[in-house]
Amino acid sequence: MIAAELPNRRVEAWKYSDLRAAIGGDRIARLEAPTGATPIAALATAMSTGETRCRFTVGEDGDVWTSELFHDTGQVTKVLAPVGTEGLLVENLTSIAYQNPSDGPKLSAALTEIVVEDHATLTRVVQQRSWSVIDADIVQLSEVRVTLGEGAKFRQFVLAEGAKLARIETHVSVQGEGAEVELNGLYMCHVGRHADLTSVIEHKAGAGQTRQLIKGAARKGGRGVFQGKIVVERGAQKTDARQYHHGMLLEDGAEIFAKPELLIHADDVQCAHGNTAGGLDESALFYMRARGVPEAQARALLIEAFLSETIPDWTPPDVRVEIETRIRTWLGGAP
Amino acid sequence: MIELNNLHVRVGDAEIIKGLTLSVPSGEVHAIMGPNGAGKSTLAYALSGREGYAVTDGAAKLDGADILALAPEERAAKGLFLSFQYPVEIPGLSAIAFLKAALNAQRAARGEAPMPAPELLKLLRAKADALRIDQDMLKRPLNVGFSGGEKKRFEALQMAVLEPRFAILDETDSGLDIDALRIVADNVNALRGPERSMLVITHYQRLLDYIKPDRVHVLARGRIVASGGPELALELERDGYDKYLRAA
Repeated sequence: MIAAELPNRRVEAWKYSDLRAAIGGDRIARLEAPTGATPIAALATAMSTGETRCRFTVGEDGDVWTSELFHDTGQVTKVLAPVGTEGLLVENLTSIAYQNPSDGPKLSAALTEIVVEDHATLTRVVQQRSWSVIDADIVQLSEVRVTLGEGAKFRQFVLAEGAKLARIETHVSVQGEGAEVELNGLYMCHVGRHADLTSVIEHKAGAGQTRQLIKGAARKGGRGVFQGKIVVERGAQKTDARQYHHGMLLEDGAEIFAKPELLIHADDVQCAHGNTAGGLDESALFYMRARGVPEAQARALLIEAFLSETIPDWTPPDVRVEIETRIRTWLGGAP
Repeated sequence: MIELNNLHVRVGDAEIIKGLTLSVPSGEVHAIMGPNGAGKSTLAYALSGREGYAVTDGAAKLDGADILALAPEERAAKGLFLSFQYPVEIPGLSAIAFLKAALNAQRAARGEAPMPAPELLKLLRAKADALRIDQDMLKRPLNVGFSGGEKKRFEALQMAVLEPRFAILDETDSGLDIDALRIVADNVNALRGPERSMLVITHYQRLLDYIKPDRVHVLARGRIVASGGPELALELERDGYDKYLRAA
């Protein structure tokens, strides 16, 4: 793989997130990666080392797996949830940059491959954040590829705070009858931050269910991207898929791009989707102020309420507290 | 006590309230009745300080102090309360969290310490019981999926918890069935007292069977065109607003 193969905004799937522009040329040209892989998978594979290639089998290696990915790292993780097991995977993508921007971007790329066998449940929590001590460049990429067996369940929550470019891709292939997919996510972007939640869910077997709720907020100079594709193939009758994305533009100069897609090739399915982007609900703001809550506090409470709705009921309590704290911190103006 | 003097309110380019003068002394409940479009809700929003409801002339004083220069939250902290005709749904924010924020913000504005959580919870439970609001509903997102009647009960709950000096009840009866109306009215009546005044805005006389006003005013085309005792409401119910619309 050479830099020229990195997708730029003329590639449809990357039109809102120009990877080539974000990474730049030189270093990537030295990496070798398998051809045919997606850009993130290729980078993760090329940059990974023996230490950052892991295999994890739910049950044999425990039920909870936490991975920490720092910058300048590639990581490839393979997870197997055997028949009837239940596992939790927590992935933290963290970057701290101290360096001069002229040193080039700090890059990390993670590829996670998950097989959820029949009647097994795999839950995944991804938290992406970056700290720039000076105005440095951080690029964080993550891709998960999931296959689901009969009656299998995959549940995911993603929190993305953005970076120069942060993209969390989720690909789910529903291969067994009656499998369930739950994808929730949240992005919060302030100035200079770009967060991209992209997903492709393919229903290849019948009676499957997808529930997707993605929300985000952007401030002036921040950019949020949601791309969500759901494909229901010809044989996947009785599929029930729902996808919702709601973005909140908090200030002039904030950007949110959304591209929801439903491709339905079966005739006996239930599918629904909704996509909105707008400002804060002024009538709700007035309602709170009329009860005595000062404007700034009312705004913060309303945005927090809006964003918190994406946190699933199954979220472990300590993780929930962490996510809520980060929402509040972000609303308080700190990165 | 609330005193309105020659109040003029514009919404966009239209003048809706055209010189309204009215005062509600402490301890009294007054009703404002009027046909659709008379300016009833405009008056309620203008007094609460809603953006887009511009007071272009006149004065409004709560306990002798001008409120028109204050932000909505400052008016609330001074004791003004509006029970909304259409309470707003707030997904993701529980009724408990909402009331906690409201009560403690008002306390802070008055220089009081926040109410300790156990005390607050106890207060909410007691007030909810009185309104026959299920405890579980306090944990649900405010007004989301509530029936019209449940929303109005929650308005009454908020009023009971916040204990305002002056309350405006905007079409509190709409959406309530007869049993719920009685419960809400009982709770509103329980708040009547020498230190509190209320303005009940309604289209129909029915509500006034339960919340008995000291005075009734007819609002038509932006002005008070008639005032009288409770018998005025009965007359309106019988004869309609035509007479006053012609006069206005």
